[in-house]
Amino acid sequence: MITPWLPFRTRVAMLARLMTLQGSYNYETMIGNGVAFAMEPALRLLPGGRGGDAYREAMARQSRYFNAHPYFAAVAVGALARAELSLEAPERIERFRTASCGPLGSVGDRLVWAAWLPLCSLFALSAYGFGAPALAVVSLFLVSYNAGHFALRIWALNVGWRDGLGVASALAAPIFRTGPATLTRVAAFAAGVALPMVIANAVGVRFTGVAVIALVGGLGATVLLLLNGRLAGWRSAIWLLAASTVAAMVIR
Amino acid sequence: MAIERFRIDDRLVHGQVVVGWGQPLSLGFIVLVDDVVADNDWERELYRMGTPPEMELFVETVESAAARMAEFELRPDAGMLLTGDIATMDRLTAAVPAIRTITIGGIHHRQGRSACLSYVFLSESEIAELTVIAARGVSIVAQDLPVSNEVPLDDLLRGRTG
Repeated sequence: MITPWLPFRTRVAMLARLMTLQGSYNYETMIGNGVAFAMEPALRLLPGGRGGDAYREAMARQSRYFNAHPYFAAVAVGALARAELSLEAPERIERFRTASCGPLGSVGDRLVWAAWLPLCSLFALSAYGFGAPALAVVSLFLVSYNAGHFALRIWALNVGWRDGLGVASALAAPIFRTGPATLTRVAAFAAGVALPMVIANAVGVRFTGVAVIALVGGLGATVLLLLNGRLAGWRSAIWLLAASTVAAMVIR
Repeated sequence: MAIERFRIDDRLVHGQVVVGWGQPLSLGFIVLVDDVVADNDWERELYRMGTPPEMELFVETVESAAARMAEFELRPDAGMLLTGDIATMDRLTAAVPAIRTITIGGIHHRQGRSACLSYVFLSESEIAELTVIAARGVSIVAQDLPVSNEVPLDDLLRGRTG
């Protein structure tokens, strides 16, 4: 087994190409072409260099169907690049490639699409509810979301390269196991604060104070707890919001 | 509760399963049926890491899944059973006649397959396998997410291109 070395410049090139991953999406190979494109700078280090037999075989292998969360696909790109440069058996590389799609999609969807993205959106909405100007609201969302986004891509590429085909253990980190549930709870809290204030702003009703929101939120939470799962929190919250909005517009 | 869905999906445990279906069905467990994964430590570990901690994952061979089916059906929580290909589901439905409906959630492009839906590509041999399963009285539909329409097998094959 060869222990490969990845020059810093190559790693930066791979990272830059990973930003284009979603542009490669299609129904046949999904993001397979993008994975190969991101990995290509590393594959130039194979024996024979760019255009050599090993390079061409690896590019053909890596261009096939691949479907995972686009940020977490960087884990696979790092791991597969290491496997290719270590001259691992093609069957083992292909098996890892197939097996990594689902778990990397699952972890990414839970952490990013279902938790981080809504959380950042709701923080920005809260800022709007508190009267922040439009530019600040948009900036807050873009900066907070992309701080997580870029950090995740950089971590993913590095950990994939560091651990190679044994990268599964990195996904056991608490942030990926329990993080999504925690972020979702924080997002739910942010939604409880943001949505009434946004609606109040939109319909022109003056904000009545934190104490009122805390009282209503506390009462709602108590009712939900007493009902013990027989009523979904978000459904009742939406109905309550709709009713409040209509009431506010009528009063106005 | 019981196994709510018997799903064929070449990605096995992934976002559509744990988020798309997991949340609306309140899935408490997933049964992954794949002889190769069941026999491979690092693959089992990888799929375990892709499963949320609040869901239990069972990785089984076709034989062990068939043997434990009654146990899964008696669980108090809802579950989903996954196979990565039609051939595995074919063997499972032959071994467990109680399975009456299966869902194709994702069979993606590969050489020799042609498109039926954006998430279902089938080869001639796979169509033959589906026909065998259907002949056992099993209802086959395609549906990737709960918000999508169910597409019956006949409609799925009519939409095939290439």
